Amino acid sequence: MDIERAGGRGANQLRPIDCFRDVLSRAHGSASCSQGETRVLAAVFGPKAGTKKNENPEKACIEVIWKPKTGQIGKTEKELEMILKRTLQNICLLSVHPNTTTSIIVQVVHDDGSLLPCAIHATCAALVDAGIPLKSLAVSLCCCLTESGQILLDPSKLEEQKMKAFVCLVFPSSVNSVLPEESTPATTKSTEQEIITSLTHGVMTVDDYFHCVEQGRAAVAPLSNILKKKMRSQSAGKSSKAA
Amino acid sequence: MEQRLANSWRMTVNEKNFIQTALLSDLRTDGRGPFDYRNLTIQFGSEDGSSEVQLGQTRIMGFVTSQLVQPYRDRPNEGTLAIFTEFSPMADPSFEVGRPGESAVELGRIVDRGLRESRAIDTESLCVVAGKWVWSIRIDLHILDNGGNLVDAANIAALAALLTFRRPECTLGGEDGQEVIIHPPEVREPLALIVHHLPIAVTFAFIGNESRVIIDPSHFEEAVMGGKLTATLNTNGDICAIQKAGGEGVMQSVVMQCLRIASVKAADVTGKIKKAVESYKTIRDLKNIKRHPDSVDINNISKDMEKSKLELEKTIDSQTNDMEIESHSSKKDESSWRHSKHKAVIGRPSSWDPYTKVADADELKATLASRAVATPDLKTDVMSHEKQELNVLVDTLRDADPSPLLLVAAEAREEKNKAKTLLDAVKPKHKRKKKNLSNSNGS
Repeated sequence: MDIERAGGRGANQLRPIDCFRDVLSRAHGSASCSQGETRVLAAVFGPKAGTKKNENPEKACIEVIWKPKTGQIGKTEKELEMILKRTLQNICLLSVHPNTTTSIIVQVVHDDGSLLPCAIHATCAALVDAGIPLKSLAVSLCCCLTESGQILLDPSKLEEQKMKAFVCLVFPSSVNSVLPEESTPATTKSTEQEIITSLTHGVMTVDDYFHCVEQGRAAVAPLSNILKKKMRSQSAGKSSKAA
Repeated sequence: MEQRLANSWRMTVNEKNFIQTALLSDLRTDGRGPFDYRNLTIQFGSEDGSSEVQLGQTRIMGFVTSQLVQPYRDRPNEGTLAIFTEFSPMADPSFEVGRPGESAVELGRIVDRGLRESRAIDTESLCVVAGKWVWSIRIDLHILDNGGNLVDAANIAALAALLTFRRPECTLGGEDGQEVIIHPPEVREPLALIVHHLPIAVTFAFIGNESRVIIDPSHFEEAVMGGKLTATLNTNGDICAIQKAGGEGVMQSVVMQCLRIASVKAADVTGKIKKAVESYKTIRDLKNIKRHPDSVDINNISKDMEKSKLELEKTIDSQTNDMEIESHSSKKDESSWRHSKHKAVIGRPSSWDPYTKVADADELKATLASRAVATPDLKTDVMSHEKQELNVLVDTLRDADPSPLLLVAAEAREEKNKAKTLLDAVKPKHKRKKKNLSNSNGS
């Protein structure tokens, strides 16, 4: 009944996550995130003066550029850019720097499944590195559904291609989720019930979808703890990158 | 218009004067001498043909991919080579997405000329069916961080990626013998490209009124320089390309001096590239064996030895004498390891090792933190440790399963102990070819 995964991973087991901040010298903020073999590099420039056309000048504008490993930029890249942009618009405090543009450039180094979650973690770390004001961090997870209805977390590329369906979910991860048990359960529940982004591929039943969401939500707290620890563990002192 | 000006970075007059005055006393702002290169590190990704080069603050990634295409009409039996440079906006706020600017085009042309016109890559070996199918090699260079001197770093990234790239093996088959069958890497070991020599680009900048020459300019120095000269040469003493597109005029004697310095630096850089590629190859050979996670029992050992022998043959075809011997021992180590169920910590930090128990997340995190900056030196230490165990374990293997393949491998090991001559290299190759034929006929 249980599907065997490569490397003996359990159904609920994630690949090792690693996150490095401040990897580039010219960018205002940069981060590199790896989940298993998937590696993504993100850089942030901003806030820069002016917004694009047709954007609201009373808020900050977020611009995402997605760079694939090889090949021309096509529709998939444009779609991912749009998804990332809307996700980040939810996380960032847009009213702090009105009439500015923050550019985020995502470079895929290697894609071995769970590409969008890895990109979101890298982008969040890069935004933290650049000092862009954020409402909360985002934590993201990919779940795939096997033929037998079993849910596997964090699929690799081969698994994604073989499975019936997979869904990518993004949840907010606020301060409350990091504090230990002193925080009231009521506040943690209210923030964790939000789903910022949900992207599905393939066909799944409604019940299966909600099971995936439950699994994802259960993983938010430990995942966000890991990411915050990684981000905090880097050196605190950093010279200004304005030049 | 004002927005673009507001967002661009410009050098102040103070900084410019400082750099020029310091150069009069042969001092550079980062403490280097005028003819010193910055620190060069070459790393490789998890796939074949992906490299990441760091030259000081400059970071460039190179990816090589291949595809079967129709050849050009006027060259029906040669493969094609194409270089795509991406000046990513992540490298420099002035780089814009979309059409490449003139410096991007120039960089692409310099790297292209160094590789194509000097015939560094053998394109005739890329032909599969003359006039119909050839391999097209595509090199993507992504500029991640512009710390100055992008040309040199991009060249090194392209060379490193090409040296570690493996294209799938393909044979002619089908009903009429004209169909090309591409074998996936699990079935047949992919082949390396034939690289005749390594053209290394060395960039000189001319700064100030007296045209002081410096090598490997940082991006501050590039903003101040009056002219630039890039010389691409190889260790055989050939000049593959010289690019001096305008800028300040320099005396002939200065150009000759630059070329002399460039040949010294090219030898240096070639040595570094070769060393990085060799250490990557040993790590990769070890990882290749781990790709077949069959159960460890006696019946399978002969199968694994067959597979490793096929891999050995391919590596011998593409490598030099010394590397041959190293890969022998590394492969035998790995298979003998599995026989004795050693748990080893090899492979890159984020790769899953199917032979260790499933570790819980905390343990993995701890090991990740300690291995976060894994250097090739660590890997070579592990390798030498394995070699010590080799002698003991090969004997046990020989007793367990005296297949002819094992004996061939053992013979090769004994030959290693004698003085190495060309004959030694040639003999095992022929033996192995005969055995391979007999095996393929049998299978």
